[in-house]
Amino acid sequence: MLNRRDFLKLIGLGGVSTGAGFVLKEAMEPPVAKLIPYLVPPEDTVPGVANWYAGLCTQCSAGCGVITKTMEGRAKKIEGNPLHPINRGKLCARGQAGLQVLYNPDRVKGPLKRVGKRGEGEFREVSWEEGLSILSGNLKDLTNRNEAGKLYLLTSALRGHLTSLLVSFMDSFGSSNYFQYELFNNSNLIYANSVTIGSGAIPDYDIANTRLLLSFGADFMGTWLSPVRYARSYGDMRQGRPGVRGRFVQIEPRLSMTGASADEWVPVRPGTEGILALSIAYLIVEERHYRGADAKRWMDMLKRYNPDEVAGEIDISVRKIGELAEEFVEGGPSLAIGGDNLASYDNGIGNLVAVNVLNYLAGSIGHKGGVLLNGKDKTFKRKSVPYAQLTKLGDSALEGDIETLILYNTNPLFTAPSGMKLGASLENIPLIVSLSSFMDETTGMADLILPAHTSLEDWGDDFADHGAGYSVATVMQPAVSPVFDTKGVGDVFLALAASLGPGFKKDFPWRSFGDFLKDAWKKIYRRNRGSGIKERSFEDFWSRLLAAGGWWTPSPKISGAVNLSVGKASSHIPSAAAGFDGDSDKFPFFLTVYSHSAFLDGRGANLPWLQEMPDPMTSVVWGTWVEMNPKTARHLSLKEGDMIRVESPYGEIHAPLYLYPGIRPDTVAVPIGQGHTSYGRYAKERGDNPLAILPPRVDTRTGALALNSTRVRVFKSTRSGKLVKMEGSARELGRGIVQTVSNKEFKKMGKEA
Amino acid sequence: MKKVPIYIIVAVITFAIGYNVNARYFSNRRPVQPIAFSHKIHAGDNDIPCLYCHIYANKSRVAGVPSVQRCMGCHKVIKTDSPKIQKLTHYWESGEPIPWIKVHNLPDHVYFTHKRHVKAGVECQSCHGDVEEMDVIARVASLKMGWCLRCHMNEEVKNGKDCWTCHK
Repeated sequence: MLNRRDFLKLIGLGGVSTGAGFVLKEAMEPPVAKLIPYLVPPEDTVPGVANWYAGLCTQCSAGCGVITKTMEGRAKKIEGNPLHPINRGKLCARGQAGLQVLYNPDRVKGPLKRVGKRGEGEFREVSWEEGLSILSGNLKDLTNRNEAGKLYLLTSALRGHLTSLLVSFMDSFGSSNYFQYELFNNSNLIYANSVTIGSGAIPDYDIANTRLLLSFGADFMGTWLSPVRYARSYGDMRQGRPGVRGRFVQIEPRLSMTGASADEWVPVRPGTEGILALSIAYLIVEERHYRGADAKRWMDMLKRYNPDEVAGEIDISVRKIGELAEEFVEGGPSLAIGGDNLASYDNGIGNLVAVNVLNYLAGSIGHKGGVLLNGKDKTFKRKSVPYAQLTKLGDSALEGDIETLILYNTNPLFTAPSGMKLGASLENIPLIVSLSSFMDETTGMADLILPAHTSLEDWGDDFADHGAGYSVATVMQPAVSPVFDTKGVGDVFLALAASLGPGFKKDFPWRSFGDFLKDAWKKIYRRNRGSGIKERSFEDFWSRLLAAGGWWTPSPKISGAVNLSVGKASSHIPSAAAGFDGDSDKFPFFLTVYSHSAFLDGRGANLPWLQEMPDPMTSVVWGTWVEMNPKTARHLSLKEGDMIRVESPYGEIHAPLYLYPGIRPDTVAVPIGQGHTSYGRYAKERGDNPLAILPPRVDTRTGALALNSTRVRVFKSTRSGKLVKMEGSARELGRGIVQTVSNKEFKKMGKEA
Repeated sequence: MKKVPIYIIVAVITFAIGYNVNARYFSNRRPVQPIAFSHKIHAGDNDIPCLYCHIYANKSRVAGVPSVQRCMGCHKVIKTDSPKIQKLTHYWESGEPIPWIKVHNLPDHVYFTHKRHVKAGVECQSCHGDVEEMDVIARVASLKMGWCLRCHMNEEVKNGKDCWTCHK
């Protein structure tokens, strides 16, 4: 019945279907997973349950408190610290992206020593022992040759006890050349405040409680001073008080993200903002809203800012100035703030003084809803940080005064105008040591790289200048163990101190920077200045301090009255509009450069989250763009997306054009932050850096760089490039997507309802 | 063509054999572990409570495999002459964790937490079977959604039928 042939067929069929059954079952099973236990379980860690560590955000200088979520020892998410009075649980995009600083694939993963020519970027890996011994050998040489003063240190505007350590290290070594530099610094604001309202500290602006906010160029929700805090205050101003909706007017030539939230945008001619402030001040005095005994003298001084005479220069109508003045005095409190754009002209200090004068005459200083003065913090001596520090450093380098330069957390080759030729000056320095965790432009010049921890791996603390209406101290602790072979900056200097001989070591007995910090906080504990944390023993205080993420005293202090004399004010107010390089015939446009809300001064450009975050006003990602008014573009026959060349007397940049109705027709604007030549795969060769075409023009009183101080001309570029943006069209094209009513109509509607 | 039924019968039988061979001998329902650990000796004969080793079961999503340190806590002195324990000691001394094979493996789209179930008083055995009688640990439940829901519905678990309870 079954022949040999069929039998073999059946055997074959049986084999195949056995296999099929086997494979089917295999496919139905989930893949085999391993279950790897801990060898020794770490304390305080429960797998699957997050541990949150309080810390400090170091992505800008606002000093927000953060909490970092860690699971099984890895940082997963950064959020705002809900207890922290500056940001009250909120955090901006830059802060959130701090995680990508930690895990960035382009971090310097261990100490490096240069092998190729300087600047060629060829390095060899060395051990920490070798790296530190090269540097300490060099420092010993300097001491032996009696040239200790030729050691220079350049860092960002650090605050807190790390600065104390660095200062005392440099002092013990015998060098007075510790410099700090920051592109966006508040030196003009500090100067203006100290000559007018007598406080060299940055005040706290009580935006939350004001009824009318006049902002002169301050992008306080984007990058100015403390954006998270002020954005929150802005929300409170609008909706935090039942029945009261504060009014907000933004005065600037280019509408910023903050300006977009305003009720009204007043596009004044660049560099005349201060004159407008004084013109409003004039009307306030003239209408007898200022009742001081010296009203007559103010009147005399402000006479020349009579709107009838200056309105043309400011380029807004006399009536508008009158309206602003009326609004500013009726039904206060009202507050004028000035920053960013306004402070970045060569008459920046004058403009800021003018804003203070306006606040003073309207009685807004030292009151709720006005300017709340902070006392000067006596714990730390602040270093001066403006651009002039960098020119000083460059000059010393050229003269051969620098033998060894140590850099930390600063990238001056990117943030200095190329007209300064800092690169060539640095070439004269025999040994450049960078403590940067990233291969940025300046670190590329280094001979030795000793990479530092990032803020999630290190100890530290911070004392934010502006506070929160009271002093705020924030503590930073390691949330995770170091991802790479890096060391804390403080630890590097303590290790150097230990290697420089027993005499030196004696002054620096700490085993680690963490110990140093704890010791330093013992002093604060002993003083116990009405602290928010009261504990019997220091150890208890310390652990509660770390748990809370800092220390603050929630007792709002409203400072007393301020006396501003006419004489003091008149010697500082702007006598004319700001100066601009370049002839107005050859260079018809004002150039406004502004800090990109994600990259700040360029430091955020290596983080892909920030690169792919659309700019809030233009929706552009992954590049630089040039903003121009559509009318101007039509006149020049340019259209959106055209690659254009922006030329100043100092150089040119190329970027695609973005048509932006929120800019004056006589102005073009370019964001700062892109255009890196190194700094990792995400930042490199992306866009163009507008700082390169700025004149090295400074306000001589503070040495602050005047960012808005050149005129430019624009042409169609021969280069190719694309404008990458998320939006289709910025206009609603009659579709009624955004329906608006004016403030007056709105009030009328309220009555009818 | 009258032989077709035979072909079909042979195919079905051999298919079933293949399927079952896989299920019985190759399945990760009862995989061969790197160390032949017996739950029967530990949890059964010696009455060690589950939570003594699976220390996170009432605190976390995961129950936690005991750390090698915990094994060694007893086995530094107990039964050190057994070859299985010597294998354990070897792992400990060379500083390597034991690469156990997962028996209860849920896909990533399921959010399951031990903590809630333990706190609700669900016995370990109701999902894991009579572990204290198993020489080789084996999965007794299907861990499929229907199996989960049966219990959620019988016990009238609050929000127990809500998608978001398990798929978040």
